Amino acid sequence: MTCSESDVSSESHSEPNTEGYFKDKTKYIPPWTEPYIIGIAGNSGSGKTSISQQIIRELNQPWTVLLSFDNFYRPLTKEQSAKAFANEWDFDTPDSLDLDALYDTVKKLKQGEKARIPVYSFELHGRTDKVTTIYGANVIIIEGLYALYDKRLLDLMDIKIYVDTDLDICLARRLTRDILYRGRDLQGAMKQWETFVKPNAVRYLNPTMNNADLVIPRGLDNVVAIDLMIGHIKKQLGLKSLAHIRHLKALGQDIEFDIHRYPNLKVLPINNQTMGINSILFNKNTLMSDFIFYFDRMATLIIEAALDQLTNYQSVDIQTDPNFPPFKGLQQRDNLIAVTVIRSGDCFVTSLKRTFLEIPIGKLLIQSDSLTGEPQLHQERLPRGIDNLKNKKILLFDAQIISGAAAIMAIQVLIDHKIGETDIIFCSYLSTEIGLRRILRVFPRVKIVVGKLSSLGDTSKFPKYNPEQFIDSNWHFKNRFIDSLYFGAK
Amino acid sequence: MSTSTNYSKNVILLPQTNQLIGLYSIIRDQSTRRGDFVFYSDRIIRLLVEEGLNQLPVQKTIIKCHGNHEYEGAKFLGKICGVSIVRAGESMEMGLRDCCRSVRIGKILIQRDEETALPKLFYEKLPEDISERYVFLLDPMLATGGSAMMAVQVLLARGVQADRIFFLNLLAAPEGIQTFQNKYPEVKIITGGIDQKLNDDKFIVPGLGDFGDRYYGI
Repeated sequence: MTCSESDVSSESHSEPNTEGYFKDKTKYIPPWTEPYIIGIAGNSGSGKTSISQQIIRELNQPWTVLLSFDNFYRPLTKEQSAKAFANEWDFDTPDSLDLDALYDTVKKLKQGEKARIPVYSFELHGRTDKVTTIYGANVIIIEGLYALYDKRLLDLMDIKIYVDTDLDICLARRLTRDILYRGRDLQGAMKQWETFVKPNAVRYLNPTMNNADLVIPRGLDNVVAIDLMIGHIKKQLGLKSLAHIRHLKALGQDIEFDIHRYPNLKVLPINNQTMGINSILFNKNTLMSDFIFYFDRMATLIIEAALDQLTNYQSVDIQTDPNFPPFKGLQQRDNLIAVTVIRSGDCFVTSLKRTFLEIPIGKLLIQSDSLTGEPQLHQERLPRGIDNLKNKKILLFDAQIISGAAAIMAIQVLIDHKIGETDIIFCSYLSTEIGLRRILRVFPRVKIVVGKLSSLGDTSKFPKYNPEQFIDSNWHFKNRFIDSLYFGAK
Repeated sequence: MSTSTNYSKNVILLPQTNQLIGLYSIIRDQSTRRGDFVFYSDRIIRLLVEEGLNQLPVQKTIIKCHGNHEYEGAKFLGKICGVSIVRAGESMEMGLRDCCRSVRIGKILIQRDEETALPKLFYEKLPEDISERYVFLLDPMLATGGSAMMAVQVLLARGVQADRIFFLNLLAAPEGIQTFQNKYPEVKIITGGIDQKLNDDKFIVPGLGDFGDRYYGI
């Protein structure tokens, strides 16, 4: 009888006490939960938009989102719309805006959820059938006449800015914009300014200046004030990053966390085959073509091990011949979706194609800041309809788990897309012990399949899984080298 | 690959996981289209090859790693080659090549003699140095074991050591395993499934139909 171990949990002699693991769960707060929210208000034509764009340029982070009040105008009825076209409709009172919808959107974003923003058309005076989806924003700029009007919104903001530009200048800018870009004529634009814009500004808008933390006179021309403001925002974001990194580092430091007996963790068995392949992959003299070939083999083994985690099967009788008794078979019932973390997770794609005839493949781009090491979500492309799909299981791929930070972030993205923790199978080739601890501390129910594990310090703890005595600080477990060698580009 | 339950120590059955039974359910189903049949058969074949490769010896050796680290790893030892029994065995060559690039592949054609109803050797083409190699003998079905035993006979005559032969098949009948083992106890059989029985017409029950016909679409 040949018998090779493949399961961490089955190895322990006594039944592992798993309850504690699930109870000790710690919450991970990704940077897009509690994003930094900036409110910018001011008269029409005061330069709010220019200042917002200036902030976006200066921060230079892809996860900065501009949320314009313009998209939250209430859709008009037929009669109202006719009035609007005759320039007789008042767009400039707070009532013309759907502040409830705006508040709901910002609240969702503040909680890290995905939000859908309507797209408003000034030509049609109504909402178009388009929507913009916002997710993963770290900084949100809310810009609009009444950005500082609603108490509920004010409470969500981290900094409130009022742009105070002289009304004459505002009028000049507004006329240019309305006539050139919004298809109005001079007469109509003037009529609107006199009947609606100016009176409303005086009655409703100007008093909101009192709600601001910072008032910027003369708009974009006020270079000093804008520099000071951006400096302040950058400093706050730096502090937020630090807190995020500290939070990630603190996870999984608890000493009594025995991943060796962890029920949801599977490590490939150490046998001739895996030892031999590992040796080829680790060897610095291995040719690129060999590296790719042997990684593909290893990846296929990891995927097969991941599929052993599936449990949703239905019995089927398979008739192979009318005269033979049927074969008592099983049919896999889950909808499988692969998600790779760019670039290292893409090393699994060849093996995925070998294992599945058709499987949708989603992608996440998560990169660590080169200075601070903070993981940052740059892009997420998940298969359409993933939120509502029934019986789904997500195979999430990243070739290496080092600090665990990117993995935690990737899992959080899936959870934000309404995917259950138990429906995620995280597949990786090399993993540090601390990385695993951190992931399992936050997501104890996620299933994890790894090819090779290193130890935190005492290598004798994993005699079966780490006979080579690798520790977390060894080069291979500390450097993201797999994808560099696989794709041949540093 | 995990635990293999089995017969004797030289019969290695792939772990009968739900996953594997699911794959067999697809290829046994007579309504499965050829493209799917080939795809999922290849997947099972790769698992068989991986299990076969896992049986090969390794030598402890110091690995010089990137990052100037060194550790005691393992080097694959011994040269291998594949030998397929024409025609159905050739269907397994692709899976073998997926796991062992540029592996040498020999061929043996054995057919049933119309007059005696016994298997007869028609053709063989094997690597020159086959006696120094580990041999993966490829034939998807082990029914009576007649052809496989004749192929082993050819290999032994060419100087291959019996304990260096691995007979890889997708489906085996208990009777076939028994006959084969009695004659060549040192040859390892690696199979993905052991069926109920061999019927009077020498078909594996419930089986999966004619593997070669289904794989080649004839």
